[in-house]
Amino acid sequence: MGCVSNMPILMAVLISPGTPGRFVLQAIVVTSAGIALLLFFILGRRGLRRRYFHRRDLRVFALRKQWEGILNGSVPPESWRRHSLDSEIVEEMLFEGMEAAHAAGQREEAARLLHVLRTSGLLSTRMHEASEYGGWRRRRALVALGRTRAPEVVPVLAGALEDEDLETRVAAVRGLGGTGLAAAATEMMDRVVGRGLSTPGLTLQNSLLQCCQGRPEILQPYLRQAQGRAREMLSRVLGELATPAMEEDILLLAADPLPEVRASAARALGVARPLAALELLGELVKDKEWFVRLRAVVALGSIEDARVIPILIESLCDENRYVRLRAAGALAQMGPRLEQIVEKVIETRDRFALHAIISEIERAGGIAHLFGAISDPNRRVEATTTLLQALKAGQEQMRTAARGELRPVAAMKPGKAGS
Amino acid sequence: MLRHFISVSNITLFVYYLASNLIYLALLIIALFASLRHRRRLASIRLEHMRTSPLAPPITVLAPAHNEEKSIIESARGLLALDYPELELIIINDGSADKTLEVLREHFQLRPADVLYLPELPSAPVRGVYMSQNEPRLLVVDKEPGGNKADAVNAGLNAATKPYVCVVDADSILERDSLLRIMVPILADPRRVVAAGGIVRVLNGSRVRDGQLTEVRLPKGWLEVLQVIEYLRAFLIGREAWAAGNMLNIISGAFGIFRRDLVRAVGGYRTNAIGEDFDLVTRMHRYLLEQKMDYRISFVPDPVCWTEVPSDLRSLARQRARWHKGLLDVLWPNRDMLFRPTYGRLGSIGLPYMWIFELLAPVVELVGYTTIILAAVLGVLSREFFIQFLIYGYAFGTMISIGAVMQEEITYKRYNDWRDVIRLVLYCFFEHFPYRQMYLVWRLQGFWQYFRKDFVWRPMKRIGFHGGDSKN
Repeated sequence: MGCVSNMPILMAVLISPGTPGRFVLQAIVVTSAGIALLLFFILGRRGLRRRYFHRRDLRVFALRKQWEGILNGSVPPESWRRHSLDSEIVEEMLFEGMEAAHAAGQREEAARLLHVLRTSGLLSTRMHEASEYGGWRRRRALVALGRTRAPEVVPVLAGALEDEDLETRVAAVRGLGGTGLAAAATEMMDRVVGRGLSTPGLTLQNSLLQCCQGRPEILQPYLRQAQGRAREMLSRVLGELATPAMEEDILLLAADPLPEVRASAARALGVARPLAALELLGELVKDKEWFVRLRAVVALGSIEDARVIPILIESLCDENRYVRLRAAGALAQMGPRLEQIVEKVIETRDRFALHAIISEIERAGGIAHLFGAISDPNRRVEATTTLLQALKAGQEQMRTAARGELRPVAAMKPGKAGS
Repeated sequence: MLRHFISVSNITLFVYYLASNLIYLALLIIALFASLRHRRRLASIRLEHMRTSPLAPPITVLAPAHNEEKSIIESARGLLALDYPELELIIINDGSADKTLEVLREHFQLRPADVLYLPELPSAPVRGVYMSQNEPRLLVVDKEPGGNKADAVNAGLNAATKPYVCVVDADSILERDSLLRIMVPILADPRRVVAAGGIVRVLNGSRVRDGQLTEVRLPKGWLEVLQVIEYLRAFLIGREAWAAGNMLNIISGAFGIFRRDLVRAVGGYRTNAIGEDFDLVTRMHRYLLEQKMDYRISFVPDPVCWTEVPSDLRSLARQRARWHKGLLDVLWPNRDMLFRPTYGRLGSIGLPYMWIFELLAPVVELVGYTTIILAAVLGVLSREFFIQFLIYGYAFGTMISIGAVMQEEITYKRYNDWRDVIRLVLYCFFEHFPYRQMYLVWRLQGFWQYFRKDFVWRPMKRIGFHGGDSKN
């Protein structure tokens, strides 16, 4: 940008007697007109916007006063649909009301508002825009339709999934997700599994999550058919929504050749906690992929069962530092059993594991608990032994560090880099 | 002979100037369309869904801090209050000579946590890693002074655990939803979009409370207002337009998000780089183009990062000289990327533009001044023409600056007060003299310092936005 108004360049140009003076004069005129237009635009637009918002505020107050009448039909839709501003305000108020009603579980109120959308023709206008228009207007209509949560909008939204334009497909996916309807999930999954719908994975997963909330079983048949990326994506959604009744499917996912799917299975096990959860997670913490092991450790950390302790201690010696850290974090949360945990970690003779657990216990405020155990006459011997051993191990580590084998801060074994 | 030289020089400079004007006009038009497209795209996105999604990719925010005792707590609180489902904040205390670490230690009850740090990327030695007792998402890396930001960010990258890293300046303020917004292009196309930059705007003059911006106002000082115009032009025109053609090669060090694996793949930040942000993005382009990968580096104009700009001439001069040194420091080692098919549009358009119209601009300007003086001495200067061209240059520069203000007005409209907008527009008329000439001198100083290998980082005088409710 520095060169835009390089005066010296201009000056240098001017000294040539043959330079076209008329051109320069014309350029001055055009540029000055450009400046005037820009100024007019900026100031004019400010003024117009100010007027618009003032007018809008007034209309919002007026429509709020008539709100009950608008809802019960005593104020006929024709009276406010005539004006585009009123129409826009009422639609937004209806959408907001519906979202609040759904969030509060007020189904009747949501249904009443949807009825107004239908009878006033607002819904059909949006459906028309979503079917017939193109570009951003269509995309905006698709997202707006999702906010209505009306079953009749699903086919319109599903139709847009076939559009050639990626952004339109994304808007359709967002709209379908917004409905939160099972039918919308089915439409999306039909296309993902059957026709290889191409949209960004996260958007699709979020929409599926919204639609499958409380009814994850609709994912099951698709998950069985899906292959490759579709399978990875659906299993990730299942990982968030799984229930104990889906144990059989989770079992299959846990043995899947795709590591992403196995990682999702670990997540599902932590969420659903079926009977076989511990056994399966015990297998997954030995997976060859570090992120599968990480998910398994995270899932184990969410299960309150003493049987997870030995598995987590084993993970504390994992070759990946993220796995170790998560395992240490999970173990540090197991308050009453801390001294036994520390003792068992000492038995592993893994200085990194010990360091990780002590650090995590300290961060979780568990050191005080260990000292508390010492003051308890029944547990004093056990706790003191543990602490002494921990201190001894710590000294060993310091000696090792002093010999230069271990960098004081980078407490990692050679070759134990995190992936 | 001399007359002939002046004549050739005139034609060259005329073409140069015309080209630069036309390019900037084209950039303005491209940026306008790109902004409108982004605005329309936003209309079909509901950020609240992202805010609560368990699937949103986790982010590590890296905030290097050097002598930031005045503002570090406000900054940390502001960063921790960002709307994002899964966030980790790493503050890197880069050998501060003040009480930055002590202030953090006291406020966040820091405790040593020696197990987290793995020095994979080069940086000055780390003295310790600390975790907070009252804020589990916070990690503090305390290190020896590295002499530059790159060194500190590398230390943070070594400790980062999330798949995306967001690099910010500890003295900057991010708007609450800025992480959600900057992630929009990444979430829309996570396989292709490897990095995204947000817009950086001038904090001076605005009101800050608890690390959050509460009122946007234009600064009082003329120097700061001129910088506001410059920032608007650079971000809302330059970066927006270059990103539209996937040729964005600067993501501001004050606010950018990157895929962590890619940053590591290119070896992190170059610790002796002067313009580390420009250097990293250029090396990322190079790496991805050499690997023949299909990728995008995006610019998102609405996630705003507010930063304090120099309010005195001395600090500004140092900053601008450093920027110009940084430009040269990146362009020169990467000169092999020019006009080679492997490097696509970046090599054939983006980088040549940087060479010709950014790096060499002060040299051309200096030649222009010299030529005019010579012409005056030789008596070949046409006074009438000189004045006409002066007016044209002035008017065109003003038009581009007002264009940037217009871009701000029709898109993001942060200055709500009428008086601020009028002042902003008025300053567009007054930035050509003597500010431009001073800027020329600072950039030439940058050249001079680079050739003398003077790479010392000189601190900027800061006011800071400490305190509960303060006007910066």
